[in-house]
Amino acid sequence: MALLEVKKLGISFGGLRAVDEFSIKIEKGELYGLIGPNGAGKTTVFNLLTGVYKPTDGSITLDGEDITGRNTIQINKAGIARTFQNIRLFHNLSVIDNVKVGLHNHYKYSSGTGVFRLPKFFKTEKEMNKKALELLSVFDLDKEAYLPASGLPYGKQRKLEIARALATQPKLLLLDEPAAGMNPNETAELMNTIRSVRDNFDMTVLLIEHDMSLVSGICERLSVLNFGQLLCEGKTSEVLSNPEVIKAYLGD
Amino acid sequence: MKKKLNPQTRKSFITYGLLLIVFIAVEILLKTGSISSMLQGLLVPICVYSILAVSLNLTVGILGELSLGQAGFMCVGAYASAIFSNLVKDSITQPVLRFTLAIFIGGIVAAIFGILIGIPVLRLRGDYLAIVTLAFGEIIKNVFAALYIGYDSAGLHISLKSQGDLGLKPDGKMIINGALGIGGTPNDSTFEIAFVILFISVIIIYNFIHSRTGRAVMSIRDNRIAAESVGLNITKYKLITFALTAFLAGVAGVLYSHNFYSLQASKFDYNLSILVLVFVVLGGIGNIRGSIIAAAVLTLLPELLRSINNYRMLFYAVILIVMMICTSNETIRTFFIRNFQKLKGLIIKNKSGSETVKEAE
Repeated sequence: MALLEVKKLGISFGGLRAVDEFSIKIEKGELYGLIGPNGAGKTTVFNLLTGVYKPTDGSITLDGEDITGRNTIQINKAGIARTFQNIRLFHNLSVIDNVKVGLHNHYKYSSGTGVFRLPKFFKTEKEMNKKALELLSVFDLDKEAYLPASGLPYGKQRKLEIARALATQPKLLLLDEPAAGMNPNETAELMNTIRSVRDNFDMTVLLIEHDMSLVSGICERLSVLNFGQLLCEGKTSEVLSNPEVIKAYLGD
Repeated sequence: MKKKLNPQTRKSFITYGLLLIVFIAVEILLKTGSISSMLQGLLVPICVYSILAVSLNLTVGILGELSLGQAGFMCVGAYASAIFSNLVKDSITQPVLRFTLAIFIGGIVAAIFGILIGIPVLRLRGDYLAIVTLAFGEIIKNVFAALYIGYDSAGLHISLKSQGDLGLKPDGKMIINGALGIGGTPNDSTFEIAFVILFISVIIIYNFIHSRTGRAVMSIRDNRIAAESVGLNITKYKLITFALTAFLAGVAGVLYSHNFYSLQASKFDYNLSILVLVFVVLGGIGNIRGSIIAAAVLTLLPELLRSINNYRMLFYAVILIVMMICTSNETIRTFFIRNFQKLKGLIIKNKSGSETVKEAE
């Protein structure tokens, strides 16, 4: 059974059909790419998958559980975490606190326990710190743990966003243009990071990307979106040499 | 083995230490009788305003929402507790027990109002909270100013018209007398009690901020969409914060109402809410220690300027503006910080030459 199965997903904004009859099937442990020209509806698909928009038709199934029409919070709890095209960190919090917010729903104590500093507070906070530092060290961010997140260089902010998403312990990780604004060196490093995330965390990754070196470098399978519709899907090398795809990107 | 404190904990402990030092200093001055009776009368209000300021800072600085109803919550707490104290004045004669109960009643009633307002409003984004809390404060003030409550052998009588409308029997007693307010509330709040409550409030707020809940609240402030994407229930955390703010404002109201012999609703007007907001903004949004300092300084200032009676408010305004410029203008702030560090360097140098070298490194 596929981890994520999307059937005939569609949404209209007024008269505009932003996504139409979009279907995708992602197996557990896959590195899957979603590509397409600007305005094809890739981010809209992400917003549909994470509950930012409610689909007008179609269904989304995650690990056998129907999650169509749920809100962002419920979908995150069901097991989908994401990063954003324009980085959205908690800028005034420290790096480690960003990750600890991600751990929020897995390490619990009540507000009262926090205010009155009951023993459970110290115990849980200690566990959270340990777990957060563990995650940060995977992304080589443990040295910056107590710096404010806004002070990190761009590439590291991207990594921190991925770390925060992973902290919610998802089944599926959605990355929205992770290499946007990165230089070739940073992109190469990011590719290694994404690969190691998949291997170390046994994670399934779906990513949107324009950077073809990253797409061809790490994605095993691809779907191509054009004008809100699925143009083709298949193995990366086959898709990228498909004349339809080249036409969609470069025109006639 | 020496345990290293993390910077947040250190910051809060410095505040606790400063508060204690100030308290001890004031106590010594009180014992030696070197504080004028005018200033003595201001000690409880300073604590009250400080509690109002730090609790508002929770909503404005930590949650990032603007609330203009602090006086309204204070009013609710003040009236609820004053009614309670007046009713049980004869049955509970132990002042500490009575006042403790009054504090909880005032705080909880205010928190309930906070939750009732918060449930519809905190779901929205934007300035709605400011608008609704502003209206709430005015409504509460006017309702209490028109409220008549009395009791006699037949029980409680409530009216919104006049004292005569209550139809009290000869043995009856008035509790709230419309615009004249409540009289005869036992004067249970002293500077010591007010200080202890301020201290506890500050501890509660620091602990709240540096806990799982506080982190969630600050992440919502920093980026709502991202906070939702990691599965945080936005409305719940906004509501908890707002209720805590209202609770503490209610407690401040209890202290206030038990400090004066009579209490009128007209004191809890719009200006008071704005004044508290001024404390928060001048002290630094999100800066708890700053809120207390601003509240204390700006409450003392009009009294200290009393000698230049005619120009008092002029100076007050000028000082306000200067403080505002100094805290918000980046250039002036760096100028102050740089000179402060120079000064610090000089002091250390005078103490011992070798330490300065270490400091510089």
